[in-house]
Amino acid sequence: MIDFKNVVKTYPNGTVALKGISLHIDDGEFVFIVGHSGAGKTTLTKLLLGEEKPTSGHLIVGDYDLSRIPGYRVPHYRRELGVVFQDFRLLPNKTVFENVAFAMRVVGTPAKKIRRRVPAILNTVNLADKNGSFPDEISGGEQQRVALARALANNPKVIIADEPTGNIDPQMSLEIMNLLMKINKLGKTVIVVTHERELVNYYKQRVIMIKDGVIVEDKVGGTYE
Amino acid sequence: MRRYNPFYFILEALKSLKRNGVMTFASVAVLMSCLVVIGGFSLLVYNIDVNLENFGVMNKIEVFSNFDAGAGELEALERDIRALDNVEEVTHTTKAERLAAIKKDYDAYEDITDEENPLSDSFEVTYKDNKKVPELEMQLKQLNGVRKLTNRYDLAKKIENFKNTVMMIFLWFLIILFVVSLFIIVNTIKLALSSRKREIEIMRYVGASKWFITLPFIIEGVLIGAVSAVISFFIVKGAYSVVTRQMGDMTQVITTVNISPYNTLILLGFLGIGILTGIIGSLISIAKHLNT
Ligand SMILES: Nc1ncnc2c1ncn2[C@@H]1O[C@H](COP(=O)(O)OP(=O)(O)OP(=O)(O)O)[C@@H](O)[C@H]1O
Ligand SMILES: [Mg+2]
Repeated sequence: MIDFKNVVKTYPNGTVALKGISLHIDDGEFVFIVGHSGAGKTTLTKLLLGEEKPTSGHLIVGDYDLSRIPGYRVPHYRRELGVVFQDFRLLPNKTVFENVAFAMRVVGTPAKKIRRRVPAILNTVNLADKNGSFPDEISGGEQQRVALARALANNPKVIIADEPTGNIDPQMSLEIMNLLMKINKLGKTVIVVTHERELVNYYKQRVIMIKDGVIVEDKVGGTYE
Repeated sequence: MRRYNPFYFILEALKSLKRNGVMTFASVAVLMSCLVVIGGFSLLVYNIDVNLENFGVMNKIEVFSNFDAGAGELEALERDIRALDNVEEVTHTTKAERLAAIKKDYDAYEDITDEENPLSDSFEVTYKDNKKVPELEMQLKQLNGVRKLTNRYDLAKKIENFKNTVMMIFLWFLIILFVVSLFIIVNTIKLALSSRKREIEIMRYVGASKWFITLPFIIEGVLIGAVSAVISFFIVKGAYSVVTRQMGDMTQVITTVNISPYNTLILLGFLGIGILTGIIGSLISIAKHLNT
């Protein structure tokens, strides 16, 4: 459960990126967040990641009150999230397998469990045959799928993807989006920030449109014009 | 259940020390100089102290009688000395006793007989109050039968002053070296942090604990400190044994202390200072360059 209550975010330089957002997302929902450049979409995901704190208002994610979470608890909170960025952010000197395993190892997952789980996740994102490849040996779409596998590695409740298809060609985009839908079907809450109208309109999911830091539309089966 | 492999941290630290080899070398070299200076100066000061005690110069004046003083005169002189205000204790050494002592130390005096004895009797005067030494000297000089005094107080003062100068230089040297050490270690760790920037970013996003992220860098600091300490220990030990051997050949007057019994203490001291410096350097760098 994600709950924004009148959330305002003002950056130190005075920019008011979010001007009172109230929003409820249930467990297991699939949500598109759309809006023009500079609307505040990335700011919203940063708040969800605990990277930035609301200037005022309340933000609750599961058992965590992000408006008042102390710094030392943020790592634990982040284990409940999986995050995917536009630019993949893979480690270039690690193989596909190691990139996913890395995410598990650094939160103290036993090696045995890592060896068992990584192939299963790579299978979920249809990359089982690429586990020994390095990031520069696979396509952008495949790299993004590795990033998605990494986001899933620690079995989070929520997946947040900020423009996951921004750097890949349309056909691959569709595949990524299908994967995100599949992950949603597996019971995870999925939040996708995107610019791509066709994709949004194609999937007929809940669409939240932000404009200049306020929600201007929130409709299930909505469209993005 | 979470399980962390302790070797992971050490391995990461070692990898990073190797990757930034030049900086690692610079860190160890400077921290090592710092420790060698600490060790060298401490030993110097310690030796000065021991020698001051051996001389017994701290609160003693030696009074020499006239050469022709008879037994009665000497007795009277001792009584007079004892009667003075600032006198704590008087030890009378006859010229025969003094000659015997010298014969024991120097072969050249072997053949001198008691009749030829060129010495006079002496009285070692232990005084109570340092500040009243000039007065006491005046009083002693005016006594009947006193030929001369050895003013060891001045010598003691000189040695004390020398010691204080040494300590001051030592302190400044130390502060400068310490600051340079910290500066270089901070930059070494900064380099280590920046070469693992991407990994750290991902670690943060997947929820790695802060201690997990920072531990390899702290271990880097510890390793720099420990290696510097061990090398410094051997340098100081080696240099000290060379210097003391030379001193021993040059002069019999100065005693040099055998530091072997203090080996463990010196090594632990070095390790303590070295590792602490390393950790402080790492922490400064982490605080400055790792914003979580
Ligand atoms: N760290 C920051 N400091 C100051 N202002 C910022 C910062 N990050 C974003 N902003 C400003 O906040 C507003 C919202 O930015 P945000 O990145 O959330 O937009 P966005 O909807 O993600 O845009 P885009 O579609 O271009 O990614 C913009 O005006 C932006 O300039
Ligand atoms: Mg954005």
